[in-house]
Amino acid sequence: MEPDVSMETCRIIRIAVLPTGGEIPADILRHYISMLSQFNTVDLSSISSFYVEHQKSPFAHQPWDSGSLLFKFVIGGESASAWEDFQSNRKILAVVGICHCPSCPDLGEVANDFAKECTDYKSSLVHRCFAFSPSDAQLEAGGNKENDLVLFPPSDRRSQELHMQTMLQDLAASLLMEFEKYVLRAESVGTILKTPLDSQAGFGSEEMIKAKKKRLGRAQKTIGDYCLLAASPLDANAHYTTGIELARLTGDVFWHAGALEGSACALLIDREDNRDPVIEEEVKYRYYNVIQLYRRSSVSDSAQRASTVRFELEAALKLARYLCRHELAKEVVELLMGAADCAKSLIDANDRLILFIEVARLFGTLGYQRKAAFFSRQVAQLYLQQDNTCASISAMKVLSMTAKAYHIESKGSSYKSSACSNESGSSHAEGGKLHPSSIVSLYESQWSTLQMVVLREILLSSVRAGDPLAAWSAAARLLRSYYPLITPVGQSGLASSLSNSAERLPSGIRCADSALPFIRLHSFPVHPSQADIIKRNPNNEGWWMGSAPSGPFIYTPFSKGSPNDSTKHEITWIVGEPIDVLVELANPCGFDLIVDSIYLSVQSGNFDPFPVSVNLPPNSAKVISLSGVPTKVGPVIIPGCTVHCFGVITEHLFKEVDNILHGAAQGLVLSDPFRCCGSGKLKTVSVPNISVVPPLPLLVSHVVGGDGAAVLYEGEIHNIRISIGNAGSVPVEQAHISLSGKNQDSVLSIADEALMSALPLKPGAQVTLPVTLKAWKLSLVDVDPNSGKNAFTSSARMSKDGSSPLLVFHYAGPSTYIASTEISGSSSSIPPGRRLIVPLHVCVQQGLRFVKARLLSMDIPARISENLPAPNKILEGSSNKEIPTTPTHQTDNSLMKIDPYKGSWGLRLLELELSNPTDVAFEVNVYVHLDKPKKPCNTVDTDEDLCCSRTRIDRDYSSRVLIPLEHFKLPVIDDSFFSKDHKVAGDDGSSILKQSKAELTASINNLISKIKVRWQSGRNSSGELNIKDAFQSALQSSVMDILLPDPLTFGFRLKSRVEEESSSKARLTKGAVFAHEMTGMEALIRNNTREMITMTLSITCRDIAGDNCIEGKKSTVLWSGVLSGVAIEVPPLQEITHSFSLYFLVPGEYTLLGAAVIDNATDILRARAHTISPDEPIFCRGSPFGVQVLGTA
Amino acid sequence: MIIACVAVVGQKNNPLYLQSFTSIGDDLKHHHIVHCSLDVIDERVNTPKKSGSRLNESFLGLLYPTETYKVYGYLTNTKVKFILVTTTSTGMDPESRNFFGKLHAAYADAVSNPFHVQGKKLITKKFAKRVEAIVKSFSD
Repeated sequence: MEPDVSMETCRIIRIAVLPTGGEIPADILRHYISMLSQFNTVDLSSISSFYVEHQKSPFAHQPWDSGSLLFKFVIGGESASAWEDFQSNRKILAVVGICHCPSCPDLGEVANDFAKECTDYKSSLVHRCFAFSPSDAQLEAGGNKENDLVLFPPSDRRSQELHMQTMLQDLAASLLMEFEKYVLRAESVGTILKTPLDSQAGFGSEEMIKAKKKRLGRAQKTIGDYCLLAASPLDANAHYTTGIELARLTGDVFWHAGALEGSACALLIDREDNRDPVIEEEVKYRYYNVIQLYRRSSVSDSAQRASTVRFELEAALKLARYLCRHELAKEVVELLMGAADCAKSLIDANDRLILFIEVARLFGTLGYQRKAAFFSRQVAQLYLQQDNTCASISAMKVLSMTAKAYHIESKGSSYKSSACSNESGSSHAEGGKLHPSSIVSLYESQWSTLQMVVLREILLSSVRAGDPLAAWSAAARLLRSYYPLITPVGQSGLASSLSNSAERLPSGIRCADSALPFIRLHSFPVHPSQADIIKRNPNNEGWWMGSAPSGPFIYTPFSKGSPNDSTKHEITWIVGEPIDVLVELANPCGFDLIVDSIYLSVQSGNFDPFPVSVNLPPNSAKVISLSGVPTKVGPVIIPGCTVHCFGVITEHLFKEVDNILHGAAQGLVLSDPFRCCGSGKLKTVSVPNISVVPPLPLLVSHVVGGDGAAVLYEGEIHNIRISIGNAGSVPVEQAHISLSGKNQDSVLSIADEALMSALPLKPGAQVTLPVTLKAWKLSLVDVDPNSGKNAFTSSARMSKDGSSPLLVFHYAGPSTYIASTEISGSSSSIPPGRRLIVPLHVCVQQGLRFVKARLLSMDIPARISENLPAPNKILEGSSNKEIPTTPTHQTDNSLMKIDPYKGSWGLRLLELELSNPTDVAFEVNVYVHLDKPKKPCNTVDTDEDLCCSRTRIDRDYSSRVLIPLEHFKLPVIDDSFFSKDHKVAGDDGSSILKQSKAELTASINNLISKIKVRWQSGRNSSGELNIKDAFQSALQSSVMDILLPDPLTFGFRLKSRVEEESSSKARLTKGAVFAHEMTGMEALIRNNTREMITMTLSITCRDIAGDNCIEGKKSTVLWSGVLSGVAIEVPPLQEITHSFSLYFLVPGEYTLLGAAVIDNATDILRARAHTISPDEPIFCRGSPFGVQVLGTA
Repeated sequence: MIIACVAVVGQKNNPLYLQSFTSIGDDLKHHHIVHCSLDVIDERVNTPKKSGSRLNESFLGLLYPTETYKVYGYLTNTKVKFILVTTTSTGMDPESRNFFGKLHAAYADAVSNPFHVQGKKLITKKFAKRVEAIVKSFSD
């Protein structure tokens, strides 16, 4: 069989092209042949000048103006076919020699050689030898030689081509004349035409007439053939018709078929460019007949089937090629499938090969890729049966053509095709999304049975063909895609074939198809220094504002878009600062996989990756960190990794693995390589937008004296020194310090001026920053009941809680503008700032424990004397007010010192009970801040804090600390205290109180802020107790009593005696009262309000048993003056005296008490007295005064 | 009718089910036949106009005539293809039409399984048994 048969085949003149006269270099020969082969069509019109009509042409109807001769150049020639009598186009009708003159000096010898070679082609009618690039000498000599040596003088290609065309036209004309000669001779003399079919039978046994007729018919058919070759279809048709008639008559079926075939061809040539459906029908009809006839010719003798079937198949292929159109697909398929089915009856493997090639080509033309692939595979199998390298190479090539239809094509070839179609190569743009075609290929990849077979064949053929790269690629594809279907032994076999192939490859060779391992992106671990890059707004000086989460929440819904929106994810890398990317590798196969090196492949070229080598045990997955350094500003694109494994460098794209995983999730891919290695399911990580920014400063910090957590007792005040250094290569020019995290108020002060003054901080420079901390109070939740003992464990727990405050440094380098060409995003033309977060590691231990606070009231009776116990200091203030007689010590600093003889009116103390659960001793000092605004400053010591004596609390002991509150008493009751409530809640005193809660709290807070309880422990620890809450609860109910004086204060003094006294008595009378003696006394009643108070005063005296000794039967005291029901009016802020005398009958201890009922009390008074109803009388009572009555001798 | 192979091919030309009913060893051949016959189905799917009056016809008729095998096709509305490979030489149009009707019903039941994922292979034993039964009923 012949390849590439078509309807035209019948009219093509075969010309053998023989390189003659010594070796011709391959490329030069190729050049000559390419020049030659472009003139495969010679128009009849162009050869008329060379055509000499020696006799009358048998081709009466030759279309000189439109016809053309077709040539087929058979390079190297071919042996004569046994069937060339049957189909004249099989004959070699001309021989063209090609001679490269520089390699053969003697042209005569060349001519002889060529003439000798031509003798092998008996059928050839015309011989020419083309000698190229002759030397001048040869040119001269060449003129003398015979005609069939044509010299092509060296010149440019165009003129050589022109020369060549002319020579071919001459050749065509010679051929035409030879054809005429042949036809004339055949018509007149007749020839014996035989085919291998006739060899046994021969004509001899047949009857003469029939034999002659048969011979005539055959001659007619052959003449028709020559007519066709001479491009005269009408003549051909006439001869064919005669031939057909004769063949039918003689029953020469085979020749009948041949003639019919020729007539169909002649019909087509006649109506060349006219696809007339009528003609088509006619051709189709004739050809089906032809096929039938060929079949019939062999039916009679099945032994001949093998030889005739090729003609049948050729006819079928010719028809199929003629009909090969989409609309007629069904018919073509039937023809082709019929032809393919006949393959079995072909004996010659070469014939079968040609058949399958043609069938595959026609299916391909028809658009039936799968069928074409199937037959291509058959072709490859036939090639593989021939045991030589050339056939193997052919098999490999054919198989790689089928790869596309089976969706197993090498990426290298598919890239090539995609690059051709889409030259811009938008490989970056399609990142992330699944390419539609890749989805389809996922689906199609389920034909694993077929795909594996084909891949194995590719592997086998490329090994045989000695193409290690193709073998490597096939083995890699096989292993990567179908490892679940391959036994571990088979996997190892593939691995070794990979290694074997690699051994024959030069080192460092790249292959487009990746083998193992599977690589997927795991994550982009964000280095803290990268996370804290903050965009700087050149217009906003405080660019750090709002950049840090200021609230207690780590995540605020407003700060970022939805967290799932990973496409928006952006990462900034910095030139010169190394980064890490985590990738996960999987080796799902049953052998140890040694990855010689793996590194990130970066297309943008501004990244310097560091390769690592990995060893993956069988069926294992591993997460490894790939690092590198960005080298230039701009975006970084990481499509995958470059892997050097099995001796070949391959590119592993993350996108592909994502596709595989996606397909595995849908059940389209055989298996998820990561899951079968035991690695968990991972959300697909898309490569974020990575941009590289120019170098930034980098601050690093450490705490001077160690970064460990400082262990502090609650309330302890501690100094930390933080050393900050610039580890970057750019100076820090801006810096800002802020606080964040929990317990921010525990940072008392940050010496940020130390940092500010050090700006700009040069690379390598350091600065130390002192920070004062006050340990916060542990919340109740944190405190275990028994955590006091094992403080260490609890503190360890504390430090993990993240309850420490964070120091946040925002800093930036110089704000020089970068040229906008360097950064694509023109919006941020100023380098970003950075943030450094320094956690102040503090472990707070429980310190002094506050147990409870109590308000203590003490009434210490004063001794009556001639003067008031506490000398009423008349204060000459601007307001010219008197300070009530308070028994506290104006001159003395110690608040706790109480002179019992001076007495006190209702001393109030706050008692704090503190326990010390720790194992160190604490000393507690109470400081009271005395800056009463109403108090004139000259009365108070210059240092405002009064210190009480120290209280030492040993470990595991409790102690009470007293805090005097009397200092805070206001001098006057006025409505300023109630000012707000007075208006609101008119007469109802209780409601005023309720509503003045806020006021109260404020005044309590004011009070509390003035009291500080400080402690000291050991040499270094000192701090302050936070007892606000305790104070508050203790003082809540009685703050008014503490802050406000009584509306009325009562005092008693002895009236100075007018009578003379003895020196002894004088000594005694000093502060003494004698029995049986009239003692004059004065009651001092002071109005502390700003209103006049009208009241009814009564004075009682009680004995030591507490009985009233003025009234009643057993009264032991006589009196003169009015002691009860004294109506008095006291002007505001004034005091009046009321005199009376007592006569004590019995010596002993007595107590004098003043009391009064206030008439028409104001609301203020009512409020102060906590009255419930407005009608209730307001009763005021003074502090008791002690009177010691001495007995008379 | 001697049924050599029955195949169900998904929308994206992915094999969902492929079972040979002849002697062992023909599997690969059947794979090839089914795979190749997709060419014709693809053509019919992609150029529905050509079908003309047979626009809504599921039965695609003879797809792939070879000497030994006859391949029939059937296309559901969801573009799932059923392919039947027989070794009978005579035209079996009505019978194969009938066969496809039953196969379609079996397929519809199989994919109605709530645990079936669209596009995944049909690997349930129930479906396999049912197809086997259908094949048996036709192979008389």
